[in-house]
Amino acid sequence: MSATVSTRRQILDRIRAATQSVAKAPDELAGAYTALPRSYVRRGGLTQQARLALLIERLREYDAEVVECGPDQLPAVIAAQLDESRKRIFVAPPGLPSTWLAPGFHWKIDHDLPAAEIEKAEGVVTAASCAIADSGTIVLHHSAGEGRRVLTLLPDWHLCILYASQVVETLPEYFSRCRRPPTLATYISGPSATADIEMTRIKGVHGPRFLHVILVDDLGAPTILN
Amino acid sequence: MRASLFITCYNDTLFPETGRAVVRLLERLGVQLDFHPQQTCCGQMHANTGFRTEAFCQAKRFVRLYQDRETVVVPSSSCVAMMRDQYPGLFEELGNEELRRQFTALLPRVYELSEFLIDRLGVDDVGAYFPHRVTYHASCHGVRALHLGDRPWRLMNRVRGMEQVALPNLDRCCGFGGTFSVKNAEVSSAMLAVKLQDVVSTGAEFCTALDNSCLMHLGGAMHRQYAGMKTIHLAEILAGTEAFPAEALA
Amino acid sequence: MSNAAQHHPVPDPHRPVLDPRYAQPFPKAVLPVLRNPQLRKNVAHAIDVIQAKRARLVTEKADWQQLRSAGAAIRSHLLENLAAYLEEFEARCTEAGGMVHWAADADEARRVILDILREENASEVIKIKTMTSAEIQLNPFLEAAGVHAYETDLAEIILQLGEDEPSHIVVPALHVNRSQVREIFARRMGLKDLSDDPHALTAAARTYLRQKFLTIPTAISGANFLVAETGSVVVVESEGNGRMCLTLPRTMITLAGIEKVLPRLQDLEVMLQVLARSATGERMNPYTSLWTGVTPGDGPQRFHVVLLDNGRSQMLARETERQTLRCIRCAACMNSCPVYRQTGGHAYGSVYPGPIGAILTPQLMRMHHAQTLPFASTLCGACYEVCPVKINIPEVLLELRSQVVNQERRQGARFFDPMYLGLRIANLIFSRAWLFHTAQFCGRIGLRFFTRGDGWIHSLPSIGGKWTQTRDLRGLPPQPFHAWWAERNRTGRQEAK
Repeated sequence: MSATVSTRRQILDRIRAATQSVAKAPDELAGAYTALPRSYVRRGGLTQQARLALLIERLREYDAEVVECGPDQLPAVIAAQLDESRKRIFVAPPGLPSTWLAPGFHWKIDHDLPAAEIEKAEGVVTAASCAIADSGTIVLHHSAGEGRRVLTLLPDWHLCILYASQVVETLPEYFSRCRRPPTLATYISGPSATADIEMTRIKGVHGPRFLHVILVDDLGAPTILN
Repeated sequence: MRASLFITCYNDTLFPETGRAVVRLLERLGVQLDFHPQQTCCGQMHANTGFRTEAFCQAKRFVRLYQDRETVVVPSSSCVAMMRDQYPGLFEELGNEELRRQFTALLPRVYELSEFLIDRLGVDDVGAYFPHRVTYHASCHGVRALHLGDRPWRLMNRVRGMEQVALPNLDRCCGFGGTFSVKNAEVSSAMLAVKLQDVVSTGAEFCTALDNSCLMHLGGAMHRQYAGMKTIHLAEILAGTEAFPAEALA
Repeated sequence: MSNAAQHHPVPDPHRPVLDPRYAQPFPKAVLPVLRNPQLRKNVAHAIDVIQAKRARLVTEKADWQQLRSAGAAIRSHLLENLAAYLEEFEARCTEAGGMVHWAADADEARRVILDILREENASEVIKIKTMTSAEIQLNPFLEAAGVHAYETDLAEIILQLGEDEPSHIVVPALHVNRSQVREIFARRMGLKDLSDDPHALTAAARTYLRQKFLTIPTAISGANFLVAETGSVVVVESEGNGRMCLTLPRTMITLAGIEKVLPRLQDLEVMLQVLARSATGERMNPYTSLWTGVTPGDGPQRFHVVLLDNGRSQMLARETERQTLRCIRCAACMNSCPVYRQTGGHAYGSVYPGPIGAILTPQLMRMHHAQTLPFASTLCGACYEVCPVKINIPEVLLELRSQVVNQERRQGARFFDPMYLGLRIANLIFSRAWLFHTAQFCGRIGLRFFTRGDGWIHSLPSIGGKWTQTRDLRGLPPQPFHAWWAERNRTGRQEAK
């Protein structure tokens, strides 16, 4: 706390005085919160297949490229994606599985790389924590396999490996899945964009312009053909 | 069916023909109408301009005059909105429990005209004839405060001989806003200019609505600009028949 | 007051004044805008685009109304229990390595921020767009103290380099078109051959900023939400400049109004669903960032939160005013407002324009300024219909109008004002039917003078002249309705015509 201790007291006192007729006592607060009406949709109603199809549709709507594969094909599909990108230098988080580091490319593993080094990378490969089909959102909690936030920000090209089991339909489902609230998270729903000039949508102001997603079927369901 | 007509202060003074049309229409439909001779105003103008104390006076007076009437019909959605949206707060603030009770009992018996026809009388075909091209402006209070929904169209669709043209942006505010029209006259005029463009673009002969406040504003500009269109309250359209055409044509 | 005078820069006559203490009254401030077809067109185009996108998504969202109800309930609950949730946020944030400061007003907030910057020896900062910093007029203050703040949001760069002011809280430069942007960038970035293609303009901004992001170690942000349960901050954006400012610098200062708190992380499931749809017509904005205090190795290692009161705590006592603070700054209200559509934001003389500005600005000023704003509305209700947290803006406008009138009455300021006189006389007239009828009679006689042969009035004096500026008024009919009714009853009921 800072030198604003007395201001803090003043402000809180003012707030308490103003809300004294409506504020709950400390032991009633949690109950009042739980009693708040929530009749919006919590759980989605789509089948697993439909949910994945919806996610793919949303991702493609904002020009992300999506390919699907089974778990065994993953390293080969990663290699193919990297190949198609015509890029050579990639940065990867330290926790990325080694089988994902396709040979024939220059890999910079992020052991506290300075920003200037990350700037030199042409692309980044990461895992993800979750994806929300309804809004086409990819969620990163920045674990060892997802990397520090700067890794998915500076390079222009991002390859994200997502498992079907990580996909939920609605945003409330994502929150109810989090056993503990994340302390760090980035929710990506499209490449960077601005509409500040005459409402013309321009992509890729800061942040990767190109997003590629590999959707790995780890649920044993028949894969959806492109 | 008996009903008491609350004509509203501005209709009484500026648009008596709307009142005459309401009488003709409702009596044709078998309604026994009465008219409280002491009526004046609901207080909306004062309340909306921030003169709450004065609005109280008029609200109290309205309740006292109408508390024993079976049904009250009002050919103005903004006045009914005043009663539904603002009277409860006013009476709460006044702290007069008896008046508040009287008002609470009275309120469900107050109807805007199209509500009275559709909900109370249960009719949408009122036997009207109006052989003209008409566009309908959905006044803000009617749409958002009273939630009139499709009532106006249910009535208009049964008017014989009438050709309806849809108004683009029909529920965009015309810019009248009561005293806003003079306190912020320039903005009001800018909104009016935009609205008038939409209205004139329909090629209709008449623009109609359920509120003469909007129509006074639109009609005033039409007249100033020789726009080749007129305004008419929906009551007057509904009152017109082959034998006795709507007064606006006279 | 002297502090304010010290930090108020010399007014540039061409620069819009968004300080409610010095701004023109709304009816006057709109005049140049209404005569500016380019600006009116730019504003209408921008809001039409957002409105159309929003409408599609709202229709698609089957539980939209339920989300609004939940949003309103969560925000109301938060405000009613604000003290407890602020303390919880402070405790969690501090545990996670953040430093929480409290600022009673704009002056204190500016000083706290400057003190932190001085500790950091910062002569430059990069900023994420935050209306709260504009509310406290932070940039000019820092400039005067030798710290240059670089805006990094594209719209804010346009405004900063163009020496202009925001006119909308989500799309602040919507009043500027591409050729105007081209002119600003060419001049200020030294790019003579720059085209006016939005792609080229955006690329120019990207280049202008890249080095700044990589080298300036101190950043200032706002917050869309503060989460009490975890002590986290949430920033919602589209461009990525936010993420740059949140991850690259060494020190981050987040300035947030005390009302930005949400009780639990889970509440984001409502807020994020309604915010993007309302603000930009998207199911979700491109980037939302959440961070909690300091994370070793990732992002700023020194993190400060400055909690700003600046008139907010004064608004909590009654539900009518308190609901104003539910606002999540989505701007749906101004996008739906037929008044804002014609005037744009500058005319409101505040960083918060439109319907929310009309109720928030005067209240933040404790009703000492911006008293014309509550009247800058026709009470059409379009704003209330779209507000994701169900702020009954017309209800608050009416309450504030009443407060302004009472204030003016107490000051005796307007005793002879034609509007005040007229309304007091009208009230007297409405108190008795015979007075009303007599007044009608006098009005008919009096207005005959102004009524032309066609039965219409084309010109009136005084307040009436404000009507007849652009509209005719039909002359008072010879027989008011009540007189027709009385005559009909006297002469016996005529056949229903």
